[in-house]
Amino acid sequence: MREGFLGTAAPLAADVVLLLEIGMGVGLLIGAWLARRKRFRQHAWCQSAIVLLNLAVILVAMTPSFRSQVLPRIPAKLGRPYFALATVHAGLGTITELAGLYILLCAGTRLLPEKLRLTQYKAWMRGVLVFWWLVLLLGFATYVRWYAPNWFANQRGFDSGRR
Amino acid sequence: MRRSVSFAFFLAAVVLGASALTAPPRNAAAVAPQKAESAEVKIDNFSFGPSTLTVAVGTTVTWTNRDDIPHTVASSDDPKAFKSKVLDTDEKFSFTFTKAGTYPYFCSIHPKMTAKVVVE
Repeated sequence: MREGFLGTAAPLAADVVLLLEIGMGVGLLIGAWLARRKRFRQHAWCQSAIVLLNLAVILVAMTPSFRSQVLPRIPAKLGRPYFALATVHAGLGTITELAGLYILLCAGTRLLPEKLRLTQYKAWMRGVLVFWWLVLLLGFATYVRWYAPNWFANQRGFDSGRR
Repeated sequence: MRRSVSFAFFLAAVVLGASALTAPPRNAAAVAPQKAESAEVKIDNFSFGPSTLTVAVGTTVTWTNRDDIPHTVASSDDPKAFKSKVLDTDEKFSFTFTKAGTYPYFCSIHPKMTAKVVVE
């Protein structure tokens, strides 16, 4: 397993995922700005690419990590902050990603029957954007708790662990 | 003359008695069963302590997570000689080393944490 590059105790995969997720969060804000500028085609491409990329990151990186490190210890260890944070992040993240995919299906395809389609796009999109950032902040908190609890204090622990 | 012979006997008896008291019994292993060896590694502040542990073949090493964060203990070899589940604070993992060799290991959550067990 390769070490990360952000100077924390995280593995490489966790550092890459963190930067990707921050990039996607910023990307969604740019996509929302495109919609306000009435550039709806670019808006659609931007948000769709991010929702699908996030789905890939969840399936390839986050789910295996959650299954091996957190899932075996819940619900027994939910009282511990690092397991609780990761679980809330995973739960809310799953709901938000599914809501994003639902918007893509409604807005970009005709796969869903008429009665299952959205009528209030703006409210859904804004809601998902707010939840997305909430999940991103929870993900950042999870990263700090698991890999850099001394990040805001000192680097002593990580340096002493090096050989 | 007679007095000096008596003294020599007395001296010899003292020396023999002392050596019998201080020498280990020849059949000590047969009298008391050999105790299984054990060793401890502490996980604290994102490091394993000691970072290099030297033990005899047959020793059981127990790792205890004293950190306020989950850790694992995983052999760096392929295939892995040992791998713990995720250890919460104060949880332990034990492994008995039955073959001589050097066993590097790490924490699979925090790969910067590395150490090794040398089995002789």
